[in-house]
Amino acid sequence: MNCPLETRENAQLLLDYCTRKLEPESVATLERHIAICGACREFARSQRAVWEALDAWQTAPVSADFDSRLYRRIEGQVSWWDVLLRPFRPPFSTATMWRSLPAAAAACLLLMAGVLLEHRAVAPAPAPNDMAQVDSVQPEQVERTLDAMEMLNEFSHHVRTDSPDSKL
Amino acid sequence: MAERVKTDIGTAAAALDFDAELMLRVKEGDGASFGVLLEKHRSSVVHFLYRMVQNHAVAEELAQEVFLRVYRSRSTYEPTAKFTTWLFRIATHLALNALRDGKNERLQERLDDDTSERPVRQVSDRRPSVEQFLVYQAKLDEVRRAITALPEKQRAAVLMHKYEEMEYSQIAKVLSCSESAVKSLLFRAYETLRARLAHMA
Repeated sequence: MNCPLETRENAQLLLDYCTRKLEPESVATLERHIAICGACREFARSQRAVWEALDAWQTAPVSADFDSRLYRRIEGQVSWWDVLLRPFRPPFSTATMWRSLPAAAAACLLLMAGVLLEHRAVAPAPAPNDMAQVDSVQPEQVERTLDAMEMLNEFSHHVRTDSPDSKL
Repeated sequence: MAERVKTDIGTAAAALDFDAELMLRVKEGDGASFGVLLEKHRSSVVHFLYRMVQNHAVAEELAQEVFLRVYRSRSTYEPTAKFTTWLFRIATHLALNALRDGKNERLQERLDDDTSERPVRQVSDRRPSVEQFLVYQAKLDEVRRAITALPEKQRAAVLMHKYEEMEYSQIAKVLSCSESAVKSLLFRAYETLRARLAHMA
């Protein structure tokens, strides 16, 4: 085997070996070479040292309120449509679902109130056809009433002329 | 037809990875799946960003932005790559922008004297001595400085390679470059790190 350090492409093999990402069949070949090559041995030693030094770099845990801060930001960006539909969708969490229920209920109430108000405003106004019908019916009724009154007058006149008192 | 297309995408995503399938559920309005994704990737994203910008507050702020962007993009999400590739592409993009904007400049100055952001060591039954603790802090500072000294792209590549255990191909997709370019980036980065940290063995 040629020394991997002769070319950068092959040096990649050494890097993979040190990071334990080399295929098992190549490991044996490389280890035989490392045993006789001082430069590769030094490369592997220093790379392992870097790997262990990086292992020591542990980070602090994520803040406990990370999720709640994120959900607050998401809440601040959702549309009314999303708020309305949320109770019918799987929630982020149960708490989020309960928080969204009052908003959805309020929105439903507003919607219903709007529909009712609109209905009330429309219902009392008669249609123009109805007005025309009333206009056309009224004179006939008046005419019939006048005819009836005239007949009653004539009838009472006859009754008065035929009665004995009237002859006296 | 639309149902079939949806099923096909879902199957492809499932074959690709479970995270992509979860993200498709988020796309369909399933908030709980977003919660699962957040739970699964929160720590790795925050830790990656912390190691990039070396400021815990800035890292968390950037991580919030990452998940916010994931949520905002749910309606247009297509599982064309691994979910983590997409996630870390957003994270890397934000981190590189933050570094270029100098958001963490104050942090670099604080590296000398700040100890508030260092993790608390959980060693209740084997408490290190003051000397051991100081040696550990000195070692940690050296590692942090060595990483900070790397060019931004090399830094991102090393952090994804070392701590996220990503394959070269995935790092290449995150950094929008070829696989050979990633290998070259990593080789040069580790060369620099060996020069600075090899004595720590």
